[in-house]
Amino acid sequence: MRQTKKPSTGPGTGRTVSRRAFLGVTASATAALSFGTFIRSGLGAAKVNVLTWSNTLPAMDDVLREQAKQYTKEKGVEISFEFINQTDLPAKTAAAVESGAGPDIITLWSDGPHLHDKALVDVNDLADGLGKDLKGWTNIAKDIAVVNKTWKAVPWGIIPIAITYRTDWAKEVGYTKFPDTYEEMLVLCRKMKEKGHYSGFALGRSIGDANQSHYPMLWAHGGAECREDGKTVAINSPGTAKAVDYVRQLFKEAEIEDVLSWDDSSNNRAFLAGELACTGNAASIYWAEQKNAPQLRAVTDHALWPKGPAGRFGYSTAISLGIFRFSKSQQESKEFIRWLLTPKQYSAWMGIGEGMMAGLLNYYEDDPVWKKDPKLEVIREIPKYVRMPGYPGPPTRYAAEAMVKYVIVNMFARASKGMSTPETIKQTESELREIYSKA
Amino acid sequence: MASIAHAERPSGLPWLRRFTASEALTGYFLISPAVFLMAVLLAYPFVLAVWISLTDRVLGEPGKFVGLANFLKLLQDSLFRQTVWNSFVYTFSTVLLKMVLGVILALILNQQMPCRNLIRGALLLPWIVPTSLSVLTWLWMFDSLFSIVNYILLGLGVISRKVQWLGDPFWAMVSVIIVNTWRGLPFFAVSLLAGLMTIPKELYEAAETDGARAGRQFWHITLPLLQPVIAVVVLFSTIWTFADFQIVYILTHGGPINATQIFATMAYDVALVAGRIGEGSAISLFLFPALLVVIILLLRYLRRE
Repeated sequence: MRQTKKPSTGPGTGRTVSRRAFLGVTASATAALSFGTFIRSGLGAAKVNVLTWSNTLPAMDDVLREQAKQYTKEKGVEISFEFINQTDLPAKTAAAVESGAGPDIITLWSDGPHLHDKALVDVNDLADGLGKDLKGWTNIAKDIAVVNKTWKAVPWGIIPIAITYRTDWAKEVGYTKFPDTYEEMLVLCRKMKEKGHYSGFALGRSIGDANQSHYPMLWAHGGAECREDGKTVAINSPGTAKAVDYVRQLFKEAEIEDVLSWDDSSNNRAFLAGELACTGNAASIYWAEQKNAPQLRAVTDHALWPKGPAGRFGYSTAISLGIFRFSKSQQESKEFIRWLLTPKQYSAWMGIGEGMMAGLLNYYEDDPVWKKDPKLEVIREIPKYVRMPGYPGPPTRYAAEAMVKYVIVNMFARASKGMSTPETIKQTESELREIYSKA
Repeated sequence: MASIAHAERPSGLPWLRRFTASEALTGYFLISPAVFLMAVLLAYPFVLAVWISLTDRVLGEPGKFVGLANFLKLLQDSLFRQTVWNSFVYTFSTVLLKMVLGVILALILNQQMPCRNLIRGALLLPWIVPTSLSVLTWLWMFDSLFSIVNYILLGLGVISRKVQWLGDPFWAMVSVIIVNTWRGLPFFAVSLLAGLMTIPKELYEAAETDGARAGRQFWHITLPLLQPVIAVVVLFSTIWTFADFQIVYILTHGGPINATQIFATMAYDVALVAGRIGEGSAISLFLFPALLVVIILLLRYLRRE
């Protein structure tokens, strides 16, 4: 005990500091620092936490990180981005909704605003304001984010899915341009296969590519899972039968058998390895070729999904930004989203992606990114043709359930594996009825 | 010193004296932290899951009590019926394979051999490596285009065209069974090896003296004495495999055409992706009563043994 009272000598300084004095000074300093931090975080600067997906193109996330820093500097609001794997988003979103705690802004996948509408703040003022300033919203934007006539999120964009194909192999069989109808596409793909160049549209459980390739084929042939009311199952139709027959023929005559096991990255790998002639994908293949397969970039091009008897359709994953009701920074979150979607920021982000993302505000149809490269120009048109699962009805919880259970994809996969058209449609109808009976 | 001094001087509080004097009470006191943790981390989530399965709750909404409606609806759901079948095929095939291969491996490892301890240690690797990482490696090995398994089999002339490991319903089930067996085999082998090492050598010596050969020794000595260990590992493995998620989710996500959809992957899709958590909970709890009966029967058997 005595020793504690004995003054100690600081090494080399010759000054003496008692232990009590040292403790007193450090405690006061810590308290002052903590108070400062408390004032800054709790009472002073507001903070907005954003939970979003880790983009396939990391450069796009880097732009967001920079923009967050810039926003903090300009507006004094701290922005914190958390990037997670896209497949982990549903679980994280569910946890936040159930526990009433989590990020302020959440990135919602396609039907997310409909699935979580009750947990989200109404953003009519924000969406209407952006629409007014930037030439209005595309129709699909409203389908995605308006629930019961209320904007529940702000559409951030779509990941445009186009036909990606090899121009050299198409030329080899006499095509200088990608065909405009499904029938002609079948002929082209068949001819390419005869030369040993396979096509492939994912038919496995890949939540992106498999659904994005086969919903458009269903709609283009006149098929649909339900009616406009979003409740009545309507899969058993001549249009669906045509679509099933078409996909079976495409699989047998032109596709690589592997498609049944493909996940979202399989067709990218196959294309980059020079093993694939035609597939449905985002511009990520073209983007990756810059680094991984520059020799293929010159012979890769994009095309719109062809027309079927019922017209031209597409389904591209949409992402929206929603604000949780439990957020204590709702106004700050709205301001940040508004800032993020204004041309200076949005064009910088979309520009880096080079076709990986397309805006749903009409203003961005004329964005400089589409003029950067003639091979990206066609992607600009995609939002016009995009519909959401559940079409011609709204994108409901039931349509989302049908999609995550791969009901439509499996209908085509069974047919490709040999099941008859009426049989696979009947099974699909029964699965859809089970889902839609809860509506 | 302080505690000794404290023990020498009786406490002034009579209730504390009575409490510390009663062994039973002290026992309860000492296990109370563990009970508390089990109540909070196990019992509460379980009871909550049971409650949610009896409601029509969707994400973000409270839902209302619907009794057994979720369970009855599931029985009529063709996809769920397929899931039940897949889960049984997956679980019973893997447990059987793990048991047979585990016994063989344990018998081999029980022999004298060079580097025995090193081999025993290496055996545990599949068990130690994080499942998600090792399964990603398997995913590459079964890749439709770049499968090294196909490459080797084609090279050896075993197959004439590549096998669609994850693209064909039959082979996809075979693939997930192979990976689960690979992953769980060390648990069986090491547990059975521990069991083997407790069997007294004298029994084998006596059997040899009586002229019993290896096969008869295994059948009449090894197997009966290993039975309790086998029962425990089979019980645990059955429960774990029924609840497995990672292997199937990473390899096939339940596909192709729902050929490998099992309870956990279907519950995940329905509850967390489609947002129907009432129904999702019912899927994950569907087998609970049956498993409970199996557990009770096995535990009774073990107690008797």
